[in-house]
Amino acid sequence: MNVTTRDDVTAWLDRLAERFTLIAPMAVEEQVFYRPVAGSAEIAFDFVRTDLPVKEYFLPSTHVLLSIGRDQGEIHVEEPALDGERVVFGLRPCDARALHVLDALFLEDEPVDPYYAERRERTVLVGLACREMGEACFCTSMGLAPDDAGDVDLMLTEIGEEGDGAAYAVQVVTEKGRAILGSLSLEGVEGNPPAPTVREPIPILEAEAWPQHFDDVYWTRLGDRCLSCRVCTYVCPTCRCFDVRDYEMRDRSIERLRAWDSCMSEGYRRIAGGHNPRPTKAQRLRNRFYCKFCYYPQDFGPVACVGCGRCIATCPVNVDVVEVLEDVGAL
Amino acid sequence: MSDKIQAKARELLESGQVSCFVGYEEGTRGRVRPAFVYDAQDAERLIWDDRCTHNLTVYLHQFQGSGREEPPQVGIIVKPCDSRALNVLLHEGQVTRDSVYVVGVTCNGVRVNGQPQDRCQRCAERVPLVYDLVLGGVPKTVGREDYADVDRLEGLSPRERLAFWMREFDRCIRCYACRQACPACYCSECVAEQLDPAWMSIAIDLPQKQFFHVMRAYHLAGRCVGCDACEDACPMDIPLSLLNRKIAREVETLFDYRPGQDATTPPPLATFDKEESIPL
Repeated sequence: MNVTTRDDVTAWLDRLAERFTLIAPMAVEEQVFYRPVAGSAEIAFDFVRTDLPVKEYFLPSTHVLLSIGRDQGEIHVEEPALDGERVVFGLRPCDARALHVLDALFLEDEPVDPYYAERRERTVLVGLACREMGEACFCTSMGLAPDDAGDVDLMLTEIGEEGDGAAYAVQVVTEKGRAILGSLSLEGVEGNPPAPTVREPIPILEAEAWPQHFDDVYWTRLGDRCLSCRVCTYVCPTCRCFDVRDYEMRDRSIERLRAWDSCMSEGYRRIAGGHNPRPTKAQRLRNRFYCKFCYYPQDFGPVACVGCGRCIATCPVNVDVVEVLEDVGAL
Repeated sequence: MSDKIQAKARELLESGQVSCFVGYEEGTRGRVRPAFVYDAQDAERLIWDDRCTHNLTVYLHQFQGSGREEPPQVGIIVKPCDSRALNVLLHEGQVTRDSVYVVGVTCNGVRVNGQPQDRCQRCAERVPLVYDLVLGGVPKTVGREDYADVDRLEGLSPRERLAFWMREFDRCIRCYACRQACPACYCSECVAEQLDPAWMSIAIDLPQKQFFHVMRAYHLAGRCVGCDACEDACPMDIPLSLLNRKIAREVETLFDYRPGQDATTPPPLATFDKEESIPL
């Protein structure tokens, strides 16, 4: 394996920050978020997972798609430019896999989402393997591993001691990754990075087996407790629903906005005339699980869950996807 | 204590006095969560301990149905703070008293992730204010609200205070967990999501976040009982109780009114006395 030190990594990140927008885990109050950083000094290296996934840099929570203005009778349509070239550092394997899950819809299925495609194209992903699984993590159940390098361009795995004295094994996964390696000094060392501590996977029901449980009273009972808030969908790295609306601004120009939307909200499915095909919170909660484990795999290929456990950690009323998967398997 | 709740729930369900009993159960990963028991034999799931933080009165609305038919009878556990929320709902006509069998529990304070809650240390009510039956021993401790944290915030300059709130609101993701967990936020269509007129855009940006939280705090003026369900539900650790209690203190000072003390005193912001005036 090729090994480098924490000092060399931070110096390399500082050089990258000069050429790219560097997005990395940053401590904010008690939490950790992916944020654009000026240099390595702002980066949090010690975290389980960030509180929000990296998806906001590919499908921003708010995005002005275009603005329409009028100038002396002429109508101008402007499309705001997207960010420049970016490097995401410190991506956990689950969040990286989530981007591949989103690719299946936004890139590999027609029509391609041009904004997502451009942001994806302009971003290099540098992974940081997990040494162990967090309390709510279940990535091994979703077919990946805490040190999975399959979805990033470069993979760093911490070896040896934790903290500032840490060393990293560096694995070049793609040419895009090799291109930013630059002058990062690497030393060839015998052996492999130590394997992370993992938990046994739980069995996941095949997509085809889900429809038979659709009318089970289980979902009604689970829905009793649900508050119908949007936490689970907004912290989810693979939930990707959005709304698009036009607004008249103060200067009479028009902005077309795209912003996150959530299938948990009552108005999400309401249609013209006021009819709502999913009026109850139990129906909406059921839909979320069916979307992830039945509809998405059937329509686009991958299961739309990577086992990051954010929804488990944040649900105010303990709707626990691992428990739900076990329960549905036993129905 | 859990066994007493189980016995009462069993009795209510067996006799048909209630069709559902809303309490607490052991969840996953050492957590406690709201439980809905429909069958007497499932009453054994019910527990009570200091991890039972949720304000269950938020669920009463889902049993009220369309209003065209009689709502089903529901049993529910209320802590003292929850009982004040129930009074607010009763007074606002959201719940009818005879549709709810209220099992009050005396409370020495609850814990979130093992931590005693600030609101419990400030809480002077250790016995529920509305109930059909009260369970639990004589409460040990009585807290006192001194608004020390509100004072600290008010000690800042307006500019610093704005910066503080902007920093906090910046983390908001407009997930509405605060609103959904709040018993007093029961509007069928929230201002934040209304389409026509569209008061707020769908953008998840700072102006919308600020507008939403300030608007919600104002709508709770004289109604918020300080159960902190909003703050407990917030995935971004925004100190919403600070905002709510600032307004609660203003209402208390101006009108000598604390919401939820009973179900009959008209709340000051829902009444108008032509003789009344507030010195400016």
